[in-house]
Amino acid sequence: MKTFEEKWTAWIDDQLTGRELEEFLASLPDRAAADAEKQSAKKLGSFLREQAVALSNVDFFSHQLRERLDRESAPARSNRDAVQTGWWTIRRLLWGSITSLAVFAVCTVVVLRERTPPSQSQYLTEILTYRVDPTVSPNATISMFQKKDDHVTVLWVEGLQSLPAEYATK
Amino acid sequence: MQAEAPVTQPDVSELDLIKRCQNGDSGAFDELVVRYRTRVFGMIYNMVHNEQDAWDLAQDSFVKAWKSIPRFRGKSSFYTWLYRIVMNVTIDWLRKKQVKAGGTEFDDNVQLREIDPASRTVPRAEALPHQRMERREVRSRIDEAIAQLSPEHRAVILMKEMEDMQYHEIAEALGCSIGTVMSRLFYARKKLQNLLKDVYENV
Repeated sequence: MKTFEEKWTAWIDDQLTGRELEEFLASLPDRAAADAEKQSAKKLGSFLREQAVALSNVDFFSHQLRERLDRESAPARSNRDAVQTGWWTIRRLLWGSITSLAVFAVCTVVVLRERTPPSQSQYLTEILTYRVDPTVSPNATISMFQKKDDHVTVLWVEGLQSLPAEYATK
Repeated sequence: MQAEAPVTQPDVSELDLIKRCQNGDSGAFDELVVRYRTRVFGMIYNMVHNEQDAWDLAQDSFVKAWKSIPRFRGKSSFYTWLYRIVMNVTIDWLRKKQVKAGGTEFDDNVQLREIDPASRTVPRAEALPHQRMERREVRSRIDEAIAQLSPEHRAVILMKEMEDMQYHEIAEALGCSIGTVMSRLFYARKKLQNLLKDVYENV
């Protein structure tokens, strides 16, 4: 359902037709005044069109616009490049870190292996425990320390009640 | 009407130009600018009544159009789509200016050039001094009258009377209903008739 304003506008612009037009015209209290106003509105339209303003310096307008578009698209390109460069830097840093860690891990393993202490001391001491005849010395123990490089052997004897005759120094 | 398109580039379809623009061809956009720059400028000038502001706003509108053209899907005509941008830019500017200036925005210190409808971009021959003065006065009266309309009412009557756009095109450009367009047109016409009747009846 059109409002009065909509119907009036459509009538001014000759967009009202058929039954709608008839109904609208019938609803007007003063047809002559309405017609005069329609003519006046049309004159206003023509008058406004005649007063249209021209764009002077059209070529300069386009030139200035082109410069501005170039100028405004340049930072956008720079930003894209910066993002790409930044991403490249990040990736490079990431790969560099991973490689460094791998090299460090390999070196650590090698060094630790080299530094692992031998199962024997540098003196290559062999501890030998003997028991003497339990009937003679039931609590006696004999330990022997031997350093092969220096050809030294130490016997450590504990709990010996008497020296067996065969051990006696002759 | 001030359509440059058929005169300057009759052989290149607008759709081709738009597709080229969407592929980043700025040369194609230049051609679109040539087609619409005068109409866009004229429309904006009548909204803001200042040549320099109209120039800047027309530039802003085209820059925005260039940035938005990849999203243009052709659901409306390019012309309507462009006018929507122009209207958004101009109405936003007017609202900001009104807020800053407390509602006064009329600038009568402008040098205008009137256009001969038969010669869209070339100014007519220089008028005699008294004729120039008369025209300036008439122009000043028009600007004063239009300045009393809200930005939306200005947009509607200028698109209808100066651009001869259809109701649905205006509605699309302004993002409102056809009924709203017709209603605004009713009030804008009434107001301008009251304000300018003595001028246009005697010219």
